[in-house]
Amino acid sequence: MLTYTFDWSIITSGKYFDWLLSGLLTTLKLSALSIVLAFLLGLVIAVMRMSHNRVARWLAHAYLEFFRNTPLLVQIFFWYFGSYKILPTVINDWLNKTGFEFAAAAIALTIYTSAFIAEDIRSGVLSIPKEQMEAARSAGFSYLRSMQYIILPQAVRITIPPLINQFLNLAKNSSLAMTIGVMEMTYQARQVESYTFKGFEAFTAATVVYLVLSIVITALVNIYNEKVLNVHKAA
Amino acid sequence: MKKLVTLFIMAALVTVTAKAALAGDTLADAKKKGVLVVGCKDSLPPFGYVDEKSRQIVGYDIDFVNAIAKKMGVKVELKPVTSASRMPQLQESHIDIIAATMTKNAERAKVIDFSHTYFFTGQKFITKKGTVKSLKDLEGKRIGTAKGSTSEQNVKKTLPTSTVLSFDDYPQAFLALQQGKVAAVTTDEAILAGILAKAPNKDQFEIPNLLISDEPYGLGMRKGDTNFVNFVNKTILEMEKSGEAAKIFNKWFGPDTQFHLQRNFKIAAGK
Repeated sequence: MLTYTFDWSIITSGKYFDWLLSGLLTTLKLSALSIVLAFLLGLVIAVMRMSHNRVARWLAHAYLEFFRNTPLLVQIFFWYFGSYKILPTVINDWLNKTGFEFAAAAIALTIYTSAFIAEDIRSGVLSIPKEQMEAARSAGFSYLRSMQYIILPQAVRITIPPLINQFLNLAKNSSLAMTIGVMEMTYQARQVESYTFKGFEAFTAATVVYLVLSIVITALVNIYNEKVLNVHKAA
Repeated sequence: MKKLVTLFIMAALVTVTAKAALAGDTLADAKKKGVLVVGCKDSLPPFGYVDEKSRQIVGYDIDFVNAIAKKMGVKVELKPVTSASRMPQLQESHIDIIAATMTKNAERAKVIDFSHTYFFTGQKFITKKGTVKSLKDLEGKRIGTAKGSTSEQNVKKTLPTSTVLSFDDYPQAFLALQQGKVAAVTTDEAILAGILAKAPNKDQFEIPNLLISDEPYGLGMRKGDTNFVNFVNKTILEMEKSGEAAKIFNKWFGPDTQFHLQRNFKIAAGK
């Protein structure tokens, strides 16, 4: 007869707790770093995509289509295994000695997510009627000042909800980094499972961690939205 | 929030108990259904891999379960599993038996039942030629293996200063070795021999004679599935007696293969 006895003590103390904790820290580091970089990169790509320069526009478009339309897992493998063929031996040796796993995962997550973020920012800006820009200009604001005072504050407000989605996706997608040996939350949960066969406890812990992480990210962005940007939720 | 978590845990509990109630006598159930569902490896020559010509999964493990199914008078359905997924799959009745290079150990035996040892090997390393002479050469180095295997736990015990990187499966671990991302890949010798035999530039790699553990393989079955366990044990003992087991070994590992391994074990009760 198959029976499963729960033993929560294995994940609340001792060695396995330490593993899960270090997994959590790695997930936090990987997510936080990639979120910041993806946002900045996304901003740059969005500006390029809307610019009057044809080359910049075309480059941004190609970037978007390429990275939005290929699976993240393939991109992670590409940066980790594929970059070996392109980079010179000296750099490869250095990367191999220092451990390239974390960096490869961060690069893949950043680039993949930045493509989505760029489109969200662009659609936010485009959703502001162009008459507002014209009105601002005729009221004597310069182009940059019009952007700063009139267009962007409204665009950012519109962009916040989809941005939260992208940040949440990134935090959860970071679990794919385990395929190249980054010891993040899911990796450690699986590790605990293969040592103890208490997969249920380990993955419940991982589930709770991702849930809390997602709620915290949502709350942080909302607080930033309200306190710093002075945007209030519509009733 | 609290309610939600309670609800989630309860739902999961119900699933686990429901599944538990279903796990009965595999021998009788499989005979009734006319099919035995086997969890096997599909990229690990010569234990279980896809044959290029027939596009079927073949190998040492497969020949054993085929013999068992033949004796039961049922068909075999092969389901590829990974080292990490095979035990949950068995417990949740997605498969009836594990024939996937699984090492017998006390911890696993608490959760599932093993047959007698049907293959015996030891854990070694595969490295770039000439880089590793003794275990000292691997201290503090990065060593690759596959997730969910015992190989990982053994190497952490033997070389505590090394960093163990667990990849999804052995092909990726070996790719990491080829690119210098790890200094060695470690697992059972027979698996390493299979990787080396398939490697495109095999003269650049070697398996130094550094044994760090014994690895007896067993077929895995659900805990307490006594009728089935007894039947499997009886069958493989008969295969040993009739010489069929030795024939299967020689077919996959013997002098006519690229492995040239000697059969240094016998299938016996109590092992």
